[in-house]
Amino acid sequence: MENTTIVETHSLTKRYGSGVLAVDSVDMSVRRGEVYGFLGPNGAGKTTTLRMLVGLIRPTSGTATVAGHTPGSPAGLARIGALIESPGFYPYLSGRENLRVMADMASVSQKRVDEVLDIVELTSRAGRKFGTYSTGMKQRLGVASALLKDPELLILDEPTSGLDPQGMAEMRKLIKDIGQGERTVLLSSHLLGEVEAICDRVGVISNGRLVTQSTVQELLGEEGVLVRAQPADAAQEMLTRMFGPEAVSRQNGAIHLKTDPGKSLEINRQLTAAGIGVSELRPFERSLEEVFFQLTGEKQGS
Amino acid sequence: MIATIKAEWRKNRFRPAFLVSSGIIGAITTLVYGVNWYLALHPSASDRQPVSLLTLYPDQFVNNVMGAGFPLGAAIAIVVGALIAGSEYSWGTMKTTFTQGPGRLTTWFGRVVVFAAWMGIMTAILFLVGAASSAIVASFQGHAIAWPAAIDVVKGIGTIWLVFAVNGAIGLALGVVIRHSAAALGAGLIYVLAVEILAVRFIDYINNGAYKWIGDLFVGQNAIALLQSFTSPVFPRGLAPSIGAEQAVVVLMAYFVGLVVIAAGLLRLRDVT
Repeated sequence: MENTTIVETHSLTKRYGSGVLAVDSVDMSVRRGEVYGFLGPNGAGKTTTLRMLVGLIRPTSGTATVAGHTPGSPAGLARIGALIESPGFYPYLSGRENLRVMADMASVSQKRVDEVLDIVELTSRAGRKFGTYSTGMKQRLGVASALLKDPELLILDEPTSGLDPQGMAEMRKLIKDIGQGERTVLLSSHLLGEVEAICDRVGVISNGRLVTQSTVQELLGEEGVLVRAQPADAAQEMLTRMFGPEAVSRQNGAIHLKTDPGKSLEINRQLTAAGIGVSELRPFERSLEEVFFQLTGEKQGS
Repeated sequence: MIATIKAEWRKNRFRPAFLVSSGIIGAITTLVYGVNWYLALHPSASDRQPVSLLTLYPDQFVNNVMGAGFPLGAAIAIVVGALIAGSEYSWGTMKTTFTQGPGRLTTWFGRVVVFAAWMGIMTAILFLVGAASSAIVASFQGHAIAWPAAIDVVKGIGTIWLVFAVNGAIGLALGVVIRHSAAALGAGLIYVLAVEILAVRFIDYINNGAYKWIGDLFVGQNAIALLQSFTSPVFPRGLAPSIGAEQAVVVLMAYFVGLVVIAAGLLRLRDVT
């Protein structure tokens, strides 16, 4: 039976010499063919985890298997492409020549260089020196370098970092295109909209700990209905009688009801018939942002 | 390993540090020949060591270019080594190359091979410019052009390459240890131009030279001893360390291997952050 996970970690931990616990017992699992979003605030441990997965740093304890191999082993690296943090290339060489160096390193045919330049739409500017590239072009070259080996697993660490809105949109489209088919993409980001738009599954890391791992849909939770009515206490009492206490909660004066939004008409009719004035009644969906702040314990807007 | 050497060569063949240092070696050799030629033709009464025209002719060119080996050549090699190793950290290219596939040690030894080859190219430039300059002087002076024995040329090339390579290895190792090109470069130059000279003098002075053997283990002392083993009597000589040429070769080779292996160990064990 073919293994369905391409990245698996068990109690992966990194403690630096200074005593800082950067990654704390992370159990992470990325399935083949999915676009996995690794979400967390700055300094949460995303990059440290990814560096451990490609063998740039060694874990203090715990284990990881990436593409069937130990992180950093030549056999494993041959099957993965990575862009970790900012793209690092030789500033005195052109974009194309930088890719040729990396192709030689990876024992990849030089023909592949033009193919990946085409994928990231950098062909027309491939002859310019890397030192003269804009941030967007540098990121594209980084993705091109990661694609050289036509990898099963692509690890991208904050690929939209430093890009303007248009650059971000283009990069997201590129990642979506790359993630089509059988290739697995492990994408770290602190941008919630980006992860919500691109990813199939999400892992949320906070203070070095993986606080949850699930599909975006599971993370957003069940759908429901938001009700604002007067008198609010009477409305809550009535809705509790209708749907049970576990389905009803009150937040910031609004009543959150875990039920099918298709029942809105019935809810409105019942409340009105009881003499309760309804000022707002709409389907309610939690945003990934709300879930994220709830999970990480961070304060929204802080 | 072949793929890594290919990649390192592709990367370094147009590297400004190599091109500029090769240019400096060639330019300084030409300048030294030019100045000495002028001084030989316009001797000053106050000059205690007048330059002899005989030292500028082709049969003496190997002896002549030995003077470029230390400290000038050594300093240039340290600068190049520090830049090659240190800039991989400054540019963030270490992580890009280490995630491509070949292991860390393969990448490192590929880099060392190409670095050693470049030291060979710099040596060749030094010898070619020296030979050409000596031939020009001989032609203008109407002196017959006679070249040194091939074995002396080969030995000379080997000596200069070894002095460049071992000092370059100091730069490489410092680049890996300090993980910053500018700091490694500064530390290397201060070491070779000041710290080692002072240390050797101090060690030689202690207890009327009882510990001189320790001073004779330093890179600079062995490099000077090896370079001066070539110098013919027509050249003014500095005070040469009492180290045999064979011993100097062994010590310098040991330094080269030791520095490369220590740096390899550090690269393999340390995290790339």
